[in-house]
Amino acid sequence: MVKVEDIKKEAKRILKEGKVKYIIGYKKSTNGLMSVPAFIESPEDVENLIWDPTCVYNLTRFLVDEKRRKAREKNPDERPVGIVVKGCDSRAIIVLLQEKFINRENIYVLGISCETTGVLDEKKLLKKLNGKKAEKVEYDEKDNFIITTLDGKSKVPADEILAERCLECRANFPVINDILFGEKVDRKLDNRFKSLEKIESLSKEKRWGFWKEQLDKCIRCYACRSVCPMCYCDECVVDTINFAVTADTTAEEKAQRIKWVEKSPTTSENFVYHFVRAIHLAGRCIDCGECERVCPMDIPLRFLNKKMEKEAKELFDYDAGFDPDQPSLVSCFKDEDPEDFIR
Amino acid sequence: MTDEFEPRIVAFLCKWCSSAGSDLAGVSRMEYPSNVLPITVMCSGSVSPLYIFSAFNKGADGVLVSGCHPGDCHYLKGNYYARRRIALVKKLLEFIGLEPQRFQMSWVSAAEGKKYTQVIKDFVKEIKPLGPQTKLRRNQ
Repeated sequence: MVKVEDIKKEAKRILKEGKVKYIIGYKKSTNGLMSVPAFIESPEDVENLIWDPTCVYNLTRFLVDEKRRKAREKNPDERPVGIVVKGCDSRAIIVLLQEKFINRENIYVLGISCETTGVLDEKKLLKKLNGKKAEKVEYDEKDNFIITTLDGKSKVPADEILAERCLECRANFPVINDILFGEKVDRKLDNRFKSLEKIESLSKEKRWGFWKEQLDKCIRCYACRSVCPMCYCDECVVDTINFAVTADTTAEEKAQRIKWVEKSPTTSENFVYHFVRAIHLAGRCIDCGECERVCPMDIPLRFLNKKMEKEAKELFDYDAGFDPDQPSLVSCFKDEDPEDFIR
Repeated sequence: MTDEFEPRIVAFLCKWCSSAGSDLAGVSRMEYPSNVLPITVMCSGSVSPLYIFSAFNKGADGVLVSGCHPGDCHYLKGNYYARRRIALVKKLLEFIGLEPQRFQMSWVSAAEGKKYTQVIKDFVKEIKPLGPQTKLRRNQ
C-alpha cells in the first residue's frame, strides 16, 4: 500500500534541500472528485499532495512544457524537476529519454507503483453511481475501491470502475525512478490486447463502419494532441502556421502551398489526421490513455495506438518504453523483418 | 468504348531502381496498363506515410510503393526502413477497414522492367473489381 505521507515526506525533503526546483504532482480539486495537477514549489505546499485512484493524469506532458519554458528563459534554473509518475507515465519518460528530448539529470522521478489496482475511469464511475456524487474514492487493501457518497461508504470491485488501460496494464510499476513508493506486484494479465481484438475480429466492412462512425464525430479540437506527451513537435503537420499570410501573399501563392490536411472536420480529413497521429505514435505510445480520456466526443482513440503497439510487438518484437537505450521502432530494422506482403 | 472503371494508381518509385525499372519497361516497349501515375522519389525510405494517406485522400484508388531489393539500396538501408514503416501503414489501413489490395509494396530493380509491368498488371487486375476508392476520398 502506498502511503501518501511517505510521498509528502520525500517531497518535503527534496524541496527543503533545494534538490529540485518544483514538484509536479496531484492535488485535490476545488470542484468535484477528480484530482488536478499540482505544481509545488515550497515545502509548506507539500501538504496539498495526494495519491488516490483519481490521480489519472499523465504528468509527463508538463516536462515537455518545462523544456520549452526553460529554452525561453535567460538564466534558467538548472535544477531538476520532481515529478510523480505511475507505471505508465514512467514509460513515457523512458520514451522521452530514448528520443533525447529530456535529460535524465533534469528530472527527479518519484515513482509510485499502482500495485494490484490502478486509476479509475470517471465515466464508468458516474455510470456506476447513477447520478450520485462521489466525494472520495480510496484504495482498499484488496481489489476494491471504497467510494464515499452522501449516503455513506460503499465497496466497489476495482475491475468495474478501473480505467480501460489499467485493465490491460502489463507494467504497473515505474520502470524508472529515483525513489519508489509501493511494491512491485505482478499482475495477472492473460491478454493485453483483449479489447482491441474485439474490433479486429469484426469484418472489414464492419470495421470501416465502426471507424467512420467514430471519426466522423471528431471536431478536430486537437485535445488528443495537446495532452499527449509524445506529441511534442514544434509544428504539427495539420496546422500550417509556418506559412504566414502577409499583405503581400498573393492568391496564387496561397493556392500553391501544400495543404496535407484541410481544417474542416470532414470524414476524409479526420482520417488523415488520426492516421498521422497513429503512425507518429507507433512504437512510442505507452498507452497512458490520455487521448481517449480528454476526447470530448468519446472517440476510442486508444485502439488506433493500441493497434500499432500490437503490430510493433508481433511484427518486430518491439516494446515501447522499457529501455531508454534501444533505437526507436522506425529508425531501426532487422534483416528478418517480415516482407511477405511485398511483391 | 465501354464504361469500365479504370482505377487510378499512384506509384512512388525510388529513383535508383524502380523508376529506372519503369523506364526500362517503357523503352523496351513493353505493354502495361496506363492507370499508373508514377512519382519518382529519391528512396523508398523517403516515402512518408503522409504521402500515402494524402494520395488516398486526394482520390487514388490504389497506392504502390516500390523500391530496390533488400541489400541493393543506393543509400544502403533506406528500403529496410521503408519495409518496416510500410508494414505498419498497411496494418493501420487494414485495421480501419480499407481493402488491403489497395495499398501494396514491391521490390523492382532497374533491370526488372518485366517485373514492373507484371506488378502493375496484377495491381490493376486486383483493384478493378473493388471499384472506386470512396472511403478516404475528399469530397470535392
